[in-house]
Amino acid sequence: MRSSLRLLNLEAPASQRSRNLYVCSVCRHEARPRPFVARQFLRHASDSTPITERVRRKLWGTDNPPGLKDPYGGEGVFERKFKRGQSAPQENEPEAATEAAEDAVSEDSSYEPATTWEGLQRVGHLGTWSDLPPTKADAYTSFSLNRRLTKPVHLSLAAHQTAVELSLLHTLKKPLTNICDVIEHEQPVFKLIRNCKIQPKSSGQWDSAVVYPDKETEEALVYIFEQIGGAQEAAAEVATEVAPETAEDAELAEIEAAEAEDAEFEEEVPTTPSPPFFGYRDVKDKGYLDLSLNDPITKFAFLKRFSQLTGHFFPDPVIHQISSVQHVMKHVLAEQNPKPKKLADFLVADASLQSLPNVKIFAKKQKPSHKDEELGRKKLIDAELRERGLV
Amino acid sequence: MKRLQLQRWSSSALSSRARTGGRLQRHLYSGTRLQSTNSYSLQDQSLGQQLAPPSATSDVPKFTKRQLPSPPAEAARESAKLAALHARLYLPSRLPLETLARCLVDASADPSAQFNNQSLAVLGNDLLSNYASEHLICTYPRLPLTVIFAAMYAYVGPKTLLAMSREWGVEHAAAPGGEVDPGLLQYKRLDPGAKPDAEPLVGTTRPNEDQTTWRRSITSSVVYDNEFGDPERAASPPAELSDEPFLMNDKGPAPVTPEAASATFARAVMGAIYLHAGRPAAKRFFEQHFLSRQLDISKMFNFQQPARDLTRLCARENYDEPVAKIISETGRRSRTPVFVVGIFSGVDKLGEGTGASLSEARARASVAALKGWYLYSPLEVRVPSAMEEDGAAPWKPVYVDLGEVIV
Repeated sequence: MRSSLRLLNLEAPASQRSRNLYVCSVCRHEARPRPFVARQFLRHASDSTPITERVRRKLWGTDNPPGLKDPYGGEGVFERKFKRGQSAPQENEPEAATEAAEDAVSEDSSYEPATTWEGLQRVGHLGTWSDLPPTKADAYTSFSLNRRLTKPVHLSLAAHQTAVELSLLHTLKKPLTNICDVIEHEQPVFKLIRNCKIQPKSSGQWDSAVVYPDKETEEALVYIFEQIGGAQEAAAEVATEVAPETAEDAELAEIEAAEAEDAEFEEEVPTTPSPPFFGYRDVKDKGYLDLSLNDPITKFAFLKRFSQLTGHFFPDPVIHQISSVQHVMKHVLAEQNPKPKKLADFLVADASLQSLPNVKIFAKKQKPSHKDEELGRKKLIDAELRERGLV
Repeated sequence: MKRLQLQRWSSSALSSRARTGGRLQRHLYSGTRLQSTNSYSLQDQSLGQQLAPPSATSDVPKFTKRQLPSPPAEAARESAKLAALHARLYLPSRLPLETLARCLVDASADPSAQFNNQSLAVLGNDLLSNYASEHLICTYPRLPLTVIFAAMYAYVGPKTLLAMSREWGVEHAAAPGGEVDPGLLQYKRLDPGAKPDAEPLVGTTRPNEDQTTWRRSITSSVVYDNEFGDPERAASPPAELSDEPFLMNDKGPAPVTPEAASATFARAVMGAIYLHAGRPAAKRFFEQHFLSRQLDISKMFNFQQPARDLTRLCARENYDEPVAKIISETGRRSRTPVFVVGIFSGVDKLGEGTGASLSEARARASVAALKGWYLYSPLEVRVPSAMEEDGAAPWKPVYVDLGEVIV
C-alpha cells in the first residue's frame, strides 16, 4: 500500500452510513466511494515524494526537514515479512559458500556490518546440549528385548533356558554374565537348549547339571558357548598382537563391533514381533527349579539373564530373599496377579471370607443412609420429609 | 416311648415363603394398591400374568422390597447379622436361617400367620412353661404357689426373655419392612408416650372378671390364669382368626412393646428348635439358656406372721409345738444387743435366727424354719419329661407336698 494512503480514512465516515442498516466492514469497503481526497493526490502519483513528505516539507519550510526519514514507523509488519520471504533464498547462497571464502567475503567491499542480531547465523550452542546434533552415543539400545512375558509357559521356558546356559558356562568355567551379550538365540540353538534337561546332582549344584539328549547336542552347545564372549576377547587378542595400535583403535574396534551387533539386533527385531521362544511349548523337565541361587555371582547372573529374557526386574529386597530358581518363579508368577486396588475386590477374592456367613462385603462404602435403610428407618424419614414438603 | 416324627406334622407351623405364592401375591396386591400410581386394571393384568406360572414367586421384582411387610426369605441367606445370631446362640445346623429370620418377625410387623412367629411362639411358650414348671415343682416340691408363680415369672417371664434377647445381642428394627435386615427384631412400635397397660385387660379366661371387688384366690389362678398367675386374654376361636387381619381391620395390627416382642421372639426360637432339631435339642437349649440363670428362690418368700405359720405347720404335720429358746445373747443392756434364738419342736431344732431384739430373733428363726421346710429338695430330681428319652427308667412318682399352710 502506498504510504500516502495509510493516512486516509479507509472507512466511510459514520455520517455517510445509514444508522439503521448494519453493513459489515468488508461490504462497507466495497461500497465505499473512492475517496475524493485520494484522487486529488493521485494526480501526483508520478512524484517520487509522497504526500506526507511534501506536507512535512511544507511544515518545515525546507526541502530537507529534520527528523526521521519516515516518521510513521517505516514499513508495516506484513511488508517486512513479505520482503524477507523474497530475499531469504538469496541469503542462503552465501551460507552455502565454503568457509574458505570467508576471508574473501570479509574483505569484500560490499560487507555491511549488521545493526541487529536478527537474521544472523548462530554459531555455537552456548552450553545447551539439546542444540547439539545427535551423536552415536545418544542412540539408545535396550539391554533386553523390550517385551514383558506374562504367560507362565514363557516364564518357565525362560528360566529353563537361563538355567541351561548358566550351567553350561559353569561347566566351561567362563564368566557367567557373558551370556547376556546374546539377547536372543537362533531358533536351532534354542531348540538344542530346550532339549537339554537339568538334573542338579546334589543340593542344587550348577556344575554339570545339564543332561544332554545326545552327544551331538553336547558338542554343538559346547562349541557355541565357547564362542560366546569370545568376540571381544578375540578383538582384544588381536589388539595385543598388533601392539603398535593405540588403545583408541581398540576402543574403536569395540565400538564398531558393538555397532555391528546393534545392526544385527536391529535386523533381528522384525516389524511384526515373533512369538516368544519361537512358539515352543513348555518344557516337561522341572529339574531347573531345584537349582540353588545362594552363590551371589550365580544369582546375579541368573537374574540378569532372566530379566533380559522376560522383561521382569527384581527389586533389591526380593533379590535378597531369593535362594533358588523356585523362588524366582514364585515371585514372577505372583507378580502376574497383583493385589487388587480396591479393598472390596481384595476381600471378595479371599476364599476364607467368602465361606463365612456372618461376613458381608459391600462393593461401596456404607453410609448412614444405608444403615437407615437396613434398620427400616429410611422410609420413615422419607415419609416425614415428604409430608413436610422438603423433598 | 418313641420319638415323634416331627417333620411330618410340623409343616403346618412351618411354611416357607416359596410355597405361599398366592398369599404373597394377594398381600403384595393389597400393598401396591395404596402406593403405586398404576391403574387398577393394569395391575390386575400383570398380576394375572404373574400368577399364571406356578413359579411366579421368582419374577416379582416389579414390587420393591419396601412394599413387603417383612423381609423375603431369600434375604435370610444374605444377612450377616442373622448368621452371627445363629452362631452365637449355638443353634443346631438343622434349624435354617430362614426359620430364625421368621422368629424375628412379630405379628405386629407382618399380620400374616404364614410369615410371623406367632405359631412358633405359642409352641415355644408351652414348652418353656412345661419345662420350667416341672423343674420347679420337682426340685422344690413344697413351694407355696405364690413363690412358684414368681419363680416361673423369673425363669420364663417376659422381662427375663427381654433381658435374654438383649444378652443374645438381638437388635430391634426401627420399623418393620421388606428392606430391613432379617437379623433385626421387627415389630410395630408403640407411639412415644403411649401406655400399653393403661386400661385393665378385658376378655380374660377368668369368669366374672367385671367383679373387681371379688377376692381372687391364688388357687383359682391355677385354674383360670396363665403360668405366672396373671390374668390372660382368652384365645379367640379359630374361626375368628383371619389370615389377613390387615384387611379385616383398617387400623392394621396393634403395636406392641419391645418387651412383648422380645418375649415372643425368644419363645419362637424355642419352638423353632423343637420343630427342627427335636425335643432333646430343645431341652438342652432350655437348660443352657434358662435353667442356667441364677435364681435365689429363698429370697422370694414374704411371710406376714412367720411364728404363727410355723405353729400351724407343726400342727398340720403332727410335730410338737414349736418353742423359741434363747441359744445365746450378748449385750442385753447395751445399745446393740444380739440374741440368737432357736425354734425347737421337741428336741429337734427347726431353725435359728439372730436379731437385735428377742422378737426379731424369734421371727427370723421362724422364717429360717419355714424356709427349711418349704425349700426342701430331693437328692435326685427327676422330671416327667425325662421319660421321653430313649431307654428311660420306669417312672417313679415324685413327691409333691400339700403346699403352703393356709392360715
